Amino acid sequence: MRTETRNLTGRFTLLSSRYSIYLILIVMVVVSSIISPVFFSASNFSNISRQISITTILAFGQTLLIICGLIDLSAGSVLALAGLLSVMFYKATGMFVPSIAVGIAVGSLCGFVNGWIVTRFATPAFIATLAMQTAARGAALMLTNGQNIYELDKFVAWGQGVVLGIPAPVIFLVLVALLTWYVLNHTRLGRYIYAIGGNQEAARASGIRVNRIKKWAFLLNGALVGLAGVLYMSRVNAGLPNAGIGFEFDAMTAAIIGGTSFSGGIGTAVGTLAGAFIMGFLGNIMNLLGIQSYLQQVIKGGIIVLAVAYDISSKTGRKKKNVAASQAKPVTAATNLPNP
Amino acid sequence: MEFKKMIACAMAFGVLAIGGSAFAQNAKYRVAYIARSQSDSFAAWLANSIVKEAKKYPDISLTVFDGQSRNELMQSHIENAVTNKYNLIIIQPYDPEIQIGPVKQATVQGMKFVATNPKFSDNSVPSVDSSPYLLGSVNAKLAMTQVPKNAKVVVLLGPPGNPHSLGRRDAWQKEFFDKRPDVKILDEQIANWNKDEAMRLMEDWVQAHGKIDAVISMNDNMAAGAVEAIKGSGATTYPLVYGTDGTAEACLLIKDGKMTSTALQNADELAVRSVKMAHDILTGKPTDLHETVGTELYTRNNVDKCIALHQSLGDIK
Repeated sequence: MRTETRNLTGRFTLLSSRYSIYLILIVMVVVSSIISPVFFSASNFSNISRQISITTILAFGQTLLIICGLIDLSAGSVLALAGLLSVMFYKATGMFVPSIAVGIAVGSLCGFVNGWIVTRFATPAFIATLAMQTAARGAALMLTNGQNIYELDKFVAWGQGVVLGIPAPVIFLVLVALLTWYVLNHTRLGRYIYAIGGNQEAARASGIRVNRIKKWAFLLNGALVGLAGVLYMSRVNAGLPNAGIGFEFDAMTAAIIGGTSFSGGIGTAVGTLAGAFIMGFLGNIMNLLGIQSYLQQVIKGGIIVLAVAYDISSKTGRKKKNVAASQAKPVTAATNLPNP
Repeated sequence: MEFKKMIACAMAFGVLAIGGSAFAQNAKYRVAYIARSQSDSFAAWLANSIVKEAKKYPDISLTVFDGQSRNELMQSHIENAVTNKYNLIIIQPYDPEIQIGPVKQATVQGMKFVATNPKFSDNSVPSVDSSPYLLGSVNAKLAMTQVPKNAKVVVLLGPPGNPHSLGRRDAWQKEFFDKRPDVKILDEQIANWNKDEAMRLMEDWVQAHGKIDAVISMNDNMAAGAVEAIKGSGATTYPLVYGTDGTAEACLLIKDGKMTSTALQNADELAVRSVKMAHDILTGKPTDLHETVGTELYTRNNVDKCIALHQSLGDIK
C-alpha cells in the first residue's frame, strides 16, 4: 500500500516535471477565468490567438535555431523588410497569392545570407544576425523613405481574413506549428538539429554535415520570418518600416518559456506554442483588468522569471531527486533485486 | 583567399564612396540634421521635408543623422558634429531633458543650434515647434460638442515622458475631461505612437468593455490601430476616434468615416521655418528665435484639403 502511494506520488511528480509548462498554462487559464468574466470566451481566445500568431511563428523559427545552438537577432528587421517588399509587390502588380511568396522569398534569402555568413566565415550567429538586423532595417527605411505605405486593399486578407470562422493568421500559426513539430520529430533534419545543438563536435564526428544543417535551419527560420512579415503588414493594414522592433526577443522569450534551452539540443514545438500562449494570456488578462502599462511590464517580467524558474527546477532540481528517491525505494523494498 | 580579396575590395569601395561624398560637400555652410528617429513616420516626413527645403539654399549642405530613438546616439551625433566642424545643428530632440546637456556643452564649444519638434523647455535654444497643447485642445474642443453624455472612452498615449504626448494629454484634461465629469475613462495605456500596439490594446478593450463611445489618441498612428481593431471585431458602427498629426492614413480614414478628426502638425511648415531660421542664424540675419507653427483641424467636412496636401507630397497616389 505504502509502495503504491509512493509510486503514484513519484509518477505524479514525474508527470508534473515533464509537463510543468502546460500545468502553468492551465493554472493561468483557470486563474484568469476567475478574475475576469470576459477571459474564458471563444471570442477572447480567438482574439488572443490572432494577437500571438505573428510572434509565435517567429518563435518557431527561433526554436529551430536555438535547439541547433544558434540565434537570430535579425528577425524583427527582416520581418519589416520582407513584409514591406511583399506590400510593394502587391501594390505594383495587384497579384494577391504571389505577394505572400515574395515575403517568404525575401525572408528566406536573408536567412540564407545569415546561414552563409555563419558557416562560411565561422562567425558567431549573434554577430552575423546583428549585422543583418541593422542592414535589413536600413534597407526597409531606404525603400520607403521612412514613410508608411497605406491603402493595402485586398492584401489585408492575409492578416485580417477569416476562413470558416477562424482568423487567417491562426490558420497559418497552426500550419507552422505542425510543420515545426514534424520537422523536429519526424525528419532527419530535425534529428541532426538536435544532435548539433547537443554536441556539435560529436555530431560532426558521426558524419553529420554540420554547416549544411545550420544553413537549412537559418533558411527555414528566414522563411517563417518572411511569412510573419506578410501577416504583420496585412494585419495592421499598412506597410510599416518600423515594424517588428524587438520582436526577436519576444519570440525568444516564448521559446525559452516553452522549455527550449539556450545551451542547445533541447526544445519542442509544442513547448514553444505553450510558451507563446503563456505570454499572450498574460498580456491579455492584464489589459482586460486595466492594469497600468508600467505595472504590466513589472508583472510580466516577474511572471516570466517565475515560470521559467519553476519549469527548470521541476526538471533538474530537488523534485528530480524526489522522483529518484520515491522510485528507488519501492523497487528495493518490493523486489529485492540483486546488485548489478 | 578570394573572399579576403572580395572583402578588401568592398571595404576600399566603401571608403572611396564615403570620401567622395565628403568632398562633394563644398557648400559654404555645413548643417547637420539630427532626427530623433528615421523609423518614426512623422519624424521621417519632417526629415524628408528638411532635406528638400535645404536644397533651396545653395550655400547650405545638409547631412541627416538618425538618432534611432536612443539618447546616447543623439549625444554621439552632437559630439561628432562638433568634431567634424559643422556650422550648425538642427536637432529634433528625442528626450529634450537629456539632450539639453550635450547641446549646452556644444554651444560652449561654438556650435549653433535650431531645435524643432519638440523644442527645449527652457527656451535656451532657438526653436521652431508646434504647440502640443494647441494640437490636443483643438480636438478636445470638438469632442466637447460630439461626445455623448455619460460616454465611455479609452485613451492611447505616446512614449512615457514625451513632451508632445504629455502636452496633448494635458490639453485633453483641461479642455475636455475637467469640463465633462460625466465621461468615464475605461482605460488609458501607452502604445508608444505605434499602430500595432494600439491595435492590440483596442482588441482587448473591446473584449473587456464592449461598447466604447470614443477613442482619444495622442497621435494618428495609434488612432489608426484602434480603427483596425474595431474593424476586426466585426463592429458595423465606429466610435468617435480622435488623432493628431494629420498623416495620410488618418486623412483617408476620416474620408471613409472611420475616424473623426485629426489636428495637422505640418512637417513641411516646420521644415521651411527651421531651415530658414538656420540660414538666418548662419548669415547673421536678424530673426525671431522662437517660432510656433499653427495647426488645422481636419474633419470629414474639410479633409479633402489634407488629402490634397498628401497627394502633393506623394504620400497618397
